[in-house]
Amino acid sequence: MTDVSIKVTDLTLRFPVYGVDAKSLKKNLARVTVGGRLGASTTGATEVTALSHLNLNLRAGDRLGLIGHNGSGKTTLLRALSGAYEPDEGQIEVRGRIAALLDLSLGIDPSATGVDNIRLRGRIAGMSSKEIEDKMDEIAEFSGLGPFLAMPMKTYSAGMQARLAFAVATAVEADVLLMDEWISVGDADFQKLAHRRLLNLVERAGILVLSSHDAGLLRLYCNKVMRLEGGVASEVKDIRRLDELLAAA
Amino acid sequence: MESGQHMLRTGRRGTLFEFSMALRDLVTSYHRRGLAWSLAWHDVVSRYRGSILGPFWITISMGLMVLGIGLLYAKLFGISVAEFMPYVAMGIVFFGLMAGTINEGCDTFVQASSMLSQTSLPMFTFIWRTVLRNLINLAHHAVIILGVIIFFGLWRVMDVLPAVGGLLLTIVNLAWISMLAAIASARFRDIPQFVMSVMQFAIFMTPVFWKPDAFPDRHAFLTLNPFYHMLTTIRAPLLGQEADGLSYVILAIMAVLGWALTFSVFAITRRRIVHFL
Ligand SMILES: Nc1ncnc2c1ncn2[C@@H]1O[C@H](COP(=O)(O)OP(=O)(O)OP(=O)(O)O)[C@@H](O)[C@H]1O
Ligand SMILES: [Mg+2]
Repeated sequence: MTDVSIKVTDLTLRFPVYGVDAKSLKKNLARVTVGGRLGASTTGATEVTALSHLNLNLRAGDRLGLIGHNGSGKTTLLRALSGAYEPDEGQIEVRGRIAALLDLSLGIDPSATGVDNIRLRGRIAGMSSKEIEDKMDEIAEFSGLGPFLAMPMKTYSAGMQARLAFAVATAVEADVLLMDEWISVGDADFQKLAHRRLLNLVERAGILVLSSHDAGLLRLYCNKVMRLEGGVASEVKDIRRLDELLAAA
Repeated sequence: MESGQHMLRTGRRGTLFEFSMALRDLVTSYHRRGLAWSLAWHDVVSRYRGSILGPFWITISMGLMVLGIGLLYAKLFGISVAEFMPYVAMGIVFFGLMAGTINEGCDTFVQASSMLSQTSLPMFTFIWRTVLRNLINLAHHAVIILGVIIFFGLWRVMDVLPAVGGLLLTIVNLAWISMLAAIASARFRDIPQFVMSVMQFAIFMTPVFWKPDAFPDRHAFLTLNPFYHMLTTIRAPLLGQEADGLSYVILAIMAVLGWALTFSVFAITRRRIVHFL
């Protein structure tokens, strides 16, 4: 597949917040660096504008790093790209099979074994039962969890969970990989493995969108970078100009 | 269009567009029905992990209830056990399906919130998950039904076809009620409590444990109770009696109107459901 692409036009995304009185927030509406913009919608309900008028075009081979303060909208953008959030305005179009690694615990049943969780996550990610069984050995090997796969997942450490989640998510023949921060959870060995897999994905002409606060990590994985600030996006710049963007903070 | 290869999400473009998107959600959930099934099956397996009898525990407790109530009430009401036991058995099992599907409907989206907020899975998938899970449970409890059918020789008199028809109509209706409960519960956290109270009330207002003989045919007290129609269209034929044709008609009308309402509510709230959670 060569026409892998992400095309976001004029995307605005607001979170309605239920059960909060907009009036009581008014006095705190002074501009803050953290978070999206709070405001009241036309109907008077409280709303957080997490992304406003965002444009983004990515093509095969692009590895975009997202930077920005806490609450600047990085996770929201990734979730919107995964198809979970509907735009309030604008349009999101993604061509290619999407794999989102946003939340480690997605579809994870802590009392089920590692193997069962691989099946469950694989099913959620869109693999058929047969595909999963075919790939089971490969996933198990990549996760490096060996005998622990027969144990309930509640006995795993955070890094072990990350290994399993990453192994399953990247086992899908995904063209678009969305990742939020957490890749730094694994140990050095795992980071090396993960790095190879990600490079492999990019060689297959995929797209990677990675959000991180870690400049080193971004330099390692990405060739482009975009900064979000209060839901407003900067231009997409070459990764070599990362310092410029960071300095703009 | 939603092929896993191409995803398109846009802002609002009018009511018609919202309905077409809701329809697409439904169609996608059909294409991915295997997922709903896997999730439902996983729910059943994981709920009873480590237990030897698994879902049969509920079957056993239902069975005991059937025995106890069957014997006691038969005595109290002065009805023969042979007549009353199968009646109560089917009442309890099928009402269990109704209460389960509707009560658990309240948790459908709340429980799926982490999946809904990071994947493009269709929302209908989770409705089917709840419905299928309850059907899997019903399949276990069917042991009780089979038991009374064999023990009391009902297989000689029963009429399976209308019962299956009644069951299908019931499931179609339960599905929309469950979905409506799912949407409402996501937005208003009082709904699950409310629904549970209604269902507790309904089990006594519906002829599950008692016979409606005291009422003249088509008395409003029964006709206005949807659960009565669901129960009687399944149970009467299995007991070798004829269910009132009116009940089938009412269930069919209810299914059409109910789905029209639920689907409209879904079309309008679909974008927001994930934010409710
Ligand atoms: N479910 C939600 N309901 C309401 N507001 C939300 C929700 N999720 C995020 N927000 C708001 O949207 C804005 C952007 O949040 P987001 O999680 O995208 O930030 P982020 O850039 O990922 O931050 P971090 O670096 O802390 O992970 C924040 O102001 C946050 O309060
Ligand atoms: Mg985040």
